[in-house]
Amino acid sequence: MGNFLVWAIWLVAAGACLATGLRVVTASNPFSSALSLIGNLASLAVLFLLASGEFVAAAQVLVYAGAVMVMFLFVIAYLGGRADAPWAGGTRLIQTASVISAVSLLAVVFVALMLNAGGRLSDEAEVTRAFGSPGEMGRLFLTDHLLAFEITSIVLLVAAVGGVVLGMRSAAEELADAKPSLQQTVASPEEAAR
Amino acid sequence: MSAIFVASGANGEPWWIALIKALIVINLVLFGFAYLTLAERKVMGRMQVRYGPNRVGPFGLLQPIADLVKLIRKEAFAPASANDVLYIMGPFLAAFTAMTTFSVIPWGPGWEIGGYQVNGYVADLPIALILVFAVGSLGVYGFIIGGWASDSKFALLGSMRTCAQLVSYEVSLALSVLGVVIMAKSLSLVDIVGAQDADVWYVIPQIVGFVVFILAGTAETARAPFDLPEAEQELVAGYHTEYGGMRFGLYSMSEYINLITLSGLAVTLFLGGWHGPVVPGPVWFLIKLAAILFMFIWIRTTLPRLRYDQLMRFGWKVLLPVATVNAVVTALLVVAL
Repeated sequence: MGNFLVWAIWLVAAGACLATGLRVVTASNPFSSALSLIGNLASLAVLFLLASGEFVAAAQVLVYAGAVMVMFLFVIAYLGGRADAPWAGGTRLIQTASVISAVSLLAVVFVALMLNAGGRLSDEAEVTRAFGSPGEMGRLFLTDHLLAFEITSIVLLVAAVGGVVLGMRSAAEELADAKPSLQQTVASPEEAAR
Repeated sequence: MSAIFVASGANGEPWWIALIKALIVINLVLFGFAYLTLAERKVMGRMQVRYGPNRVGPFGLLQPIADLVKLIRKEAFAPASANDVLYIMGPFLAAFTAMTTFSVIPWGPGWEIGGYQVNGYVADLPIALILVFAVGSLGVYGFIIGGWASDSKFALLGSMRTCAQLVSYEVSLALSVLGVVIMAKSLSLVDIVGAQDADVWYVIPQIVGFVVFILAGTAETARAPFDLPEAEQELVAGYHTEYGGMRFGLYSMSEYINLITLSGLAVTLFLGGWHGPVVPGPVWFLIKLAAILFMFIWIRTTLPRLRYDQLMRFGWKVLLPVATVNAVVTALLVVAL
């Protein structure tokens, strides 16, 4: 019974994952694309749950489905989110190229998985109570994977600084923006006199 | 099998008891929502030197029922240009996420009834606190989707504002409870309540975290003085401008239930949960819950609304640094002592 339940949930979650993933790239409306991506992340979280990674599942929903996708929706809603958005569709060449690259990426992942774990995929893994718990994840981050953890944090810091720099307007630019309106106010009385 | 499925049926409790408890708790929360609206109107009335609702039933006690009947009987109209599926999905998503969260909040020690073990919570998850925030962050979509699908400028601007405010204050809210998690060394709310019984109520060592939690929580539930998403003078009614009848009722319900859940979380994390002398656990939980809710109503009647730039500045430049420093200092002290 328990096994059947796990299979049923896996089937539903995996199916939802594929369906929403396809919808992300096929939907003409960017808003529904973004919503499908949220659904995709949520069904991925269910797959994580089935693999005993409850912390990863909750973190996935909290960070990606919750925080990151809100920003996506925010921007799309402000930009209009209509089907005539400039990023909708693309030329035939771009469409073909993206399909080919997606398929080859899938093939690479598949081959890498088979080469590394081909013989062990059907073995049942030993899962202890501590597996996937926050404490265990923290221990792994600060011991076995410390370098990767620290490098990721530096990359994120660089990205944050880059975002601030890109978004920052220099004082000269603001002055240049302010000038036309200033000139206009000076010029308009002359125009009125003329 | 995954640990999360084991955990929900653990401690010798049959699964169908958890199901019955879930049903009871959801209905109690809905009942609590109905009478919270009445209590709020009554208390606000008294604080503004007037009576508040007193016509329907004795002392106006049937007012929430009358409101419900009115909302249900209203026509469920929708703007012609609205995106139908999303327009209907919005309020349901908001209400669903609001009602889910209360399941992990413990309200009693657990009893043995008729030979069956009955735990004082619906579910005890090892990651309960993260689950609360994760589900809460999904609840934001109910507001965004509703505002966007209405295809109305006021609704869109209102939902953008809601979204910006909720995302900003969610960070402070999550950081403010980090001190409690570090002290209790657990993310399970049942464990956190147990740790406070063994130690002290965390409101004493974590007073900074508690204040940040209440302030960020007020903003997170969009209540005065942080009720900018519903600033009538600027946005008509915010993201639910185009909603009427019970669809609006669901939005209103989800806001109040979020407030109840947040207060329950404050009781659980900072005020010792259901622990207390003489009277049984659930009664203590209700007393503390009522006290926190009264405080929220009190704040609402007392303080005027902030400006939008003040709100953002306060969230990012005051609340977030304070919450971060509190978490770091707590971590250092826990390691040092």
